[in-house]
Amino acid sequence: MSDIRRIHEMLVSGEITCTELTQRFLHAIKDDNAALNAYITVTPDTALAQARAVDEKLSRGEEIGMLEGVPMTLKDNISTKGIETTCASKILTGYRPIYDATVYRLLQEQGVVMLGKTNMDEFAMGSSCETSYYGGSKNPHSTDHVSGGSSGGVAAAVGGNLAVYGLGSDTGGSIRQPASFCGIVGLKPTYGAVSRYGLIAYASSFDQIGPITRSVEDAAIVFDAIAKYDNMDSTSQGSTEPTCPRLDDSIARRRIGIANQYLDGVSDDVRDAVLAAAQVYRELGAEIVYFDLPELDFSLPVYYILAMAEASSNLGRYDGIRYGYKAEHYNGTHDMICRTRSEGFGKEVRRRILMGTYVLSAGYYDAYYKKAVNLRGRIVSAFENAFASVDVILAPTAPNTAFRCGYLFSQETDQIEQYLSDICTVPVNTAGLPGVSIPCGVDREGLPIGMQLIGRRFDEKTILNFAYQYEKNTDNFVGTKWGVAL
Amino acid sequence: MVTREDIENIALLSKLFVDESELDSLTEEMQKIVAFADTINTVDAGESDFDNINNLSNVFREDAVQPSLPPSMILSNAPEQAEDHFLVRRRA
Amino acid sequence: MGGGAVKYELVAGFETHVELSTKTKIFCSCTTAFGGEPNTHCCPVCIGLPGTMPKLNERVVEYAIMAGLATDCEIAEIAKMDRKNYCYPDLPKAYQISQYDRPLCEHGHITLSNGRQIRILRIHIEEDAGKLIHNHGDTYVDYNRGGVPLIEIVTEPDFRSIDEAKEYVERLQQIMRYIGVSDCRMQEGSMRCDVNISVRPVGSDTLGTRTEIKNMNSITNIAKAMEYEYERQVELIESGGTVVQETLRYDDADGTTSPMRSKEDAHDYRYFREPDLVTISVPRSRVEEIRATLPELPEQKKRRYIDDYGIPEKDAAMLTKYRAIAEFFDSASDGLQNPKAVSNFIIGQMFRRLETEADKEAFDLSTTPAHLRELCALLEAGKIRNNLAKTVLEKMLDSGKPVTAFVSEEDMAGLSDDTLAEYCRSAIAAMPNAVADYKGGKEKALMALLGNVMKQSRGRADAAAVTVKLKELIG
Ligand SMILES: [Mg+2]
Ligand SMILES: [Zn+2]
Repeated sequence: MSDIRRIHEMLVSGEITCTELTQRFLHAIKDDNAALNAYITVTPDTALAQARAVDEKLSRGEEIGMLEGVPMTLKDNISTKGIETTCASKILTGYRPIYDATVYRLLQEQGVVMLGKTNMDEFAMGSSCETSYYGGSKNPHSTDHVSGGSSGGVAAAVGGNLAVYGLGSDTGGSIRQPASFCGIVGLKPTYGAVSRYGLIAYASSFDQIGPITRSVEDAAIVFDAIAKYDNMDSTSQGSTEPTCPRLDDSIARRRIGIANQYLDGVSDDVRDAVLAAAQVYRELGAEIVYFDLPELDFSLPVYYILAMAEASSNLGRYDGIRYGYKAEHYNGTHDMICRTRSEGFGKEVRRRILMGTYVLSAGYYDAYYKKAVNLRGRIVSAFENAFASVDVILAPTAPNTAFRCGYLFSQETDQIEQYLSDICTVPVNTAGLPGVSIPCGVDREGLPIGMQLIGRRFDEKTILNFAYQYEKNTDNFVGTKWGVAL
Repeated sequence: MVTREDIENIALLSKLFVDESELDSLTEEMQKIVAFADTINTVDAGESDFDNINNLSNVFREDAVQPSLPPSMILSNAPEQAEDHFLVRRRA
Repeated sequence: MGGGAVKYELVAGFETHVELSTKTKIFCSCTTAFGGEPNTHCCPVCIGLPGTMPKLNERVVEYAIMAGLATDCEIAEIAKMDRKNYCYPDLPKAYQISQYDRPLCEHGHITLSNGRQIRILRIHIEEDAGKLIHNHGDTYVDYNRGGVPLIEIVTEPDFRSIDEAKEYVERLQQIMRYIGVSDCRMQEGSMRCDVNISVRPVGSDTLGTRTEIKNMNSITNIAKAMEYEYERQVELIESGGTVVQETLRYDDADGTTSPMRSKEDAHDYRYFREPDLVTISVPRSRVEEIRATLPELPEQKKRRYIDDYGIPEKDAAMLTKYRAIAEFFDSASDGLQNPKAVSNFIIGQMFRRLETEADKEAFDLSTTPAHLRELCALLEAGKIRNNLAKTVLEKMLDSGKPVTAFVSEEDMAGLSDDTLAEYCRSAIAAMPNAVADYKGGKEKALMALLGNVMKQSRGRADAAAVTVKLKELIG
């Protein structure tokens, strides 16, 4: 089940060297990335140097850690020293950070092999990866479909076997939704569990880095490795206890809640798959409880108001002075800044900046921003109340399976419809909770369906335990034809 | 109701140029998003005293100097620079 | 000031930015040292690289609370940081992390010498911006100063004269320096004042439209700018115009104010909570802890000097102007009966050796408080005379040596009656003409004899005693 464990054993037993393994992935990327468009930047030199270090260690007979030498990828909004980090935006063209994000530093300390930086919606704003300046990633199960967003590149790479695992970021579903579209596992940790230092901010009070993997155990291994307190991030707390040892705990007599509102407005295939999963859990001895969570009805506008407000501020710094793209023709500093931003940001990003500015501006602040902050408090307490009587909440990850490429930006699709596709994932970020998406079947077209398990703050061990028990007792993982067959 | 003037004002605040040709369509789009955002105003916010999402307080740093980075590094991504300064020429 | 039939009253308020003298910046560990080659005090955090996050310097909070306590503010139990959004090349994140609706300190005051209270609305913490150098339309940016911690002290519009404004600024500098939170050097930019000014007919209690003069860097300029702006507004109103609310810059060269902002600069800061920082909570016990570390403040000291030591107010003000002087005085006068004598030596003699204000502030002389105390103790014990003490102090100041280097045991033993009589007799013998003159009724002639005795005794003789003895001997 666990690819990480499998590779670890291959490396330790000498079945393959880390360099050979890394080369296989680099070749596969060369072959398949054109079709999947998962990677924006491939870093063979870095990866091979890292692989050599692991091989040297092995040849000295030293022990290696579980993640040591396992080829992986980072979403292109995670800062990597000296390696171009673009957020899939023209405005960060050529930007090479002078420091490493904490998560990457932690993984380097554990002997990472980093294959490259993966595609995403521009500044993580989107649900299909299609707002990327570099074009959208494709779904490894069907390249006519999107891989989801915003961490679409990581999901395409992991689902398409172009990396063993990856780190994405989730502001309103950006890890879980692409994982569900690509038939793999995506964990959005509790806000504060993983350091955000070095993650290029979209909406600071929502953003969280987490793993995208092909199995629950892999997600647990990676999460345990990166969920550390970081003194560079004031909101960081780290994780309370490792999740891996708890995966096989019994879930008998534990309680799963299903909020009726989560099942409203999702496709029949998705609803059926989630209800079938509930049945699996029942058979494993868990208790299913239906309850109401009316706060879900306004969680989407609350999320969008707050996320856009924070984004408008976070994205103010791209002015062509210190890094990134700078307009060529201009007249004076003000003109330069406006031109740089207008030329450097894509349409969706500009729209969200304008909208965020609007809800914070004089005269509108109280009606939108302030009101949304207060309603966020109501959402937080609604979940707290729910968790007084259930251990996890089971819900669909997305109302639909993967969209057809171009669908979200076609004439007939409304702006709001785009935002509505985040309805199932957004409440988790709004309340700062952990959520994991795992595959739970396919729709009538054969596209993967995902379900998510939502837990109490810092209770990743419980949702991963539930996810693992489901995965272990079902057979929903569907492989793809791409990449490295292990 | 979002007006063209609203858009012009927030564009100025956002340091973005909005093309005259885009103004009407953008106003219309923004109106839709604002109408969507407006749905929260049908809900009673109640007396929630939302603080920060993780309820933390007093996370501080000690006042101890650590070395800064050399200007060559600080300026390494600058589109333009001169004499160890970031530089914006009046006209490029 | 003012003209025509209507008399106009000046109404002003201050916003003062004071750079805190912490070792590191407010949100990163770069040094706050003044100067330095361009962009050498920078890191990913203070140049606002994408993905970086602020971490609040604990000492900034402590210093702000000290400033609040020293100006009688209430200290907030819960405070938070907010973003003030505006885009300008000196601000690398396009927002300044500041405090909006929950500042650390509120509702304080400073009392001026005329008895009027200037109310302090709030004191909050925030980060400084970088430095822009404009050169032929090109803009050079140096972020060394970016992220240096500031407190912003905002008063109510309580000033009614330029003298009050000047005194306030001096007082603020004095307090901040005393408590050690800032050196308040206006010429280095570590203290900068913005002044809001309006005028109104005397007797009116509604406020006129105000203008704001930004970033003045000396007390002289503040006074000149206020004077100019007052006259400008009065003339404008008298000629039938109206004052426009705007931000002005003061031009030092021609002594005028002019509008500062173009329409490119929008005025909507869109404040919202800084999501990358957590709540600041200040337990009352912490406030008391900080209060206990505060030194005696200049006003308290001055009162003590006047009331307890009988030092004249003017002298007390001089002694307390800088903390180093007051501390020198406190230490030198410790245990003495008559601190006033110590004060006289400091103001009379030591001040003469300190030419500039900076010299006075540093009060770095070779004589230590202990040395001065020793000297004054001898004086108090009557072992040496005042004029000798003065001479000796000069020598002490020249050499850094203690009083014992210049005054012998014998000197300190004083003059016996016999020795005094002997000196008088030898003076009478040596100056027969003077004796004759005195006998002939010239009182003044006695002075020459006195001088002779003083010379023989090397200043140790008591003039009154000598006079009595001389009269007695001449008969
Ligand atoms: Mg300020
Ligand atoms: Zn710094």
